[in-house]
Amino acid sequence: MARSLWSGSLSFGLVNVPVALFSGVRDTDLHFRQLHAKDHTPVEIHRFCADEDVEVPYEEIASGYETDDDELVVLTDAELATAAPRRTRTIDIEAFVDVAAVDPVYFDHPYVLMPLGDAEGTQRAYRLLLEVMERSERAALGRFVMRTKEYLTLIRARGGRLVLTTLLWHDEVRPSKAVPTPTKRDKPAKKEVDQAVALIDALSCPWDPERYEDSYEKRLKQILRRKAKGQTIEIPEEDEEPAPIPDLMAALERSLAEVKS
Amino acid sequence: MAPRSIWNGTIAFGLVSVPIKVYSATESKTVHFREVHAKDGSRIEHRRICPRHPKKPVDYDEIVKGYEVSRNKWVELTDEELAAAAGSQSKRLDVEHFVPAGEIAPEYYERTYYLGAQDKSKDAYALLHAALERTERAAVGRWVFHNRERTVVIRTLGDVLALHTMRFHADLVDPGEYELARVQRKPADREIKMASALVDGLYTDFDPAAYTDSYREDVLTVVKAKAEGKNIEPPPEEEPEGADDLLAALEASLANA
Repeated sequence: MARSLWSGSLSFGLVNVPVALFSGVRDTDLHFRQLHAKDHTPVEIHRFCADEDVEVPYEEIASGYETDDDELVVLTDAELATAAPRRTRTIDIEAFVDVAAVDPVYFDHPYVLMPLGDAEGTQRAYRLLLEVMERSERAALGRFVMRTKEYLTLIRARGGRLVLTTLLWHDEVRPSKAVPTPTKRDKPAKKEVDQAVALIDALSCPWDPERYEDSYEKRLKQILRRKAKGQTIEIPEEDEEPAPIPDLMAALERSLAEVKS
Repeated sequence: MAPRSIWNGTIAFGLVSVPIKVYSATESKTVHFREVHAKDGSRIEHRRICPRHPKKPVDYDEIVKGYEVSRNKWVELTDEELAAAAGSQSKRLDVEHFVPAGEIAPEYYERTYYLGAQDKSKDAYALLHAALERTERAAVGRWVFHNRERTVVIRTLGDVLALHTMRFHADLVDPGEYELARVQRKPADREIKMASALVDGLYTDFDPAAYTDSYREDVLTVVKAKAEGKNIEPPPEEEPEGADDLLAALEASLANA
């Protein structure tokens, strides 16, 4: 069983449910280590005090904050924990919103939220919230603090459990105004859009996440196997970037003909 | 200030190609601290130490990347060999097909980028944007970025095209893997009705700008107090209230709402 990353209380009106938070992502990546080249010993990262040139144990590390007038303020974890004590222990549900109303640009990290402890009251309160969320298309919006960061979160039912997705704050999404976009002059002709829509329709299918697999990890495993056997690894050449097309309409028509044939 | 693009290339679907530039759409605004030695605030350095030669740190040019294929047996890979796993170092972003944009669950979205149009062919960008908007679909493709191939989804976001890197299904935990304890008594209809009423009462349109990270301010307040030499007291421990009487708690919540 995975370890919980946070535990506290999910607060909904005056109902409090003790909960534990688990990562919703499994780490399936191959992990590489830094090795000392001469004998392949994995190197370790040690913390040293730059002034005294001595190793510093973890308990003697604190957080330093540089103020605008270059003054260094040193804070211990205990002092930092006083910043927002309630929110470090409680996910307060503030509102309910439609999931579809939250733009995907805000989605950050997925978690699974489970009841903490076997108490009948806890389990029943969790099930009640779950059942209510399952019946509605809505998600609860709440906030809490985990590891010295506050998160806005979306909580909803998925697969018979409550799941939590952290959201980016509004000011963490950059404005897109400065991104170069087409002007009115570039507006496509209606028949071009019609053709492009026809091409999209022809290439459309339902979203089926299971059809996508991590071919990078697969190739990496192959490369490791070959390397372990002492074989050489070929470095692939760069693909050619497609040339810009002078005639969009012709490209659309030919693409459609190809898809249909 | 004009943003700097982090990748330039071409989206290809059918025989249509759309030259684009990629920009970061997100940034972290967390208050950043650095590690210091607690007693005097001196700088902490991370040094690479080889346990077999611990006397002096290992220089970066003495480091290689390795993967442990079996206990203590390491396979060394050069940066070029690692890059080979990405497939061809392509300037193409191949679109494989199109899907209804609204069908994708939040869990799959990883990170967002904006796509900008390249000067030479803004008409192709405008066409893709118009067609995606009309069909309410998103393009699914493969993108090699930072030596790694990713599955990406491209959709309209206002006037721009947004690109999302996606998590793989196999990397997501099925919530059902976590076991739910049995309960003696399921939530009663009356409880469900009251909880639903509470949900309805708290329903609102989502306005992202209405929520701000107040914790940043709280942290800076603590920093300021410390800088002024004030004593920082931990708050008294609060006992979390249990939910022993669910019905009573719901009733009281509704009365408050």
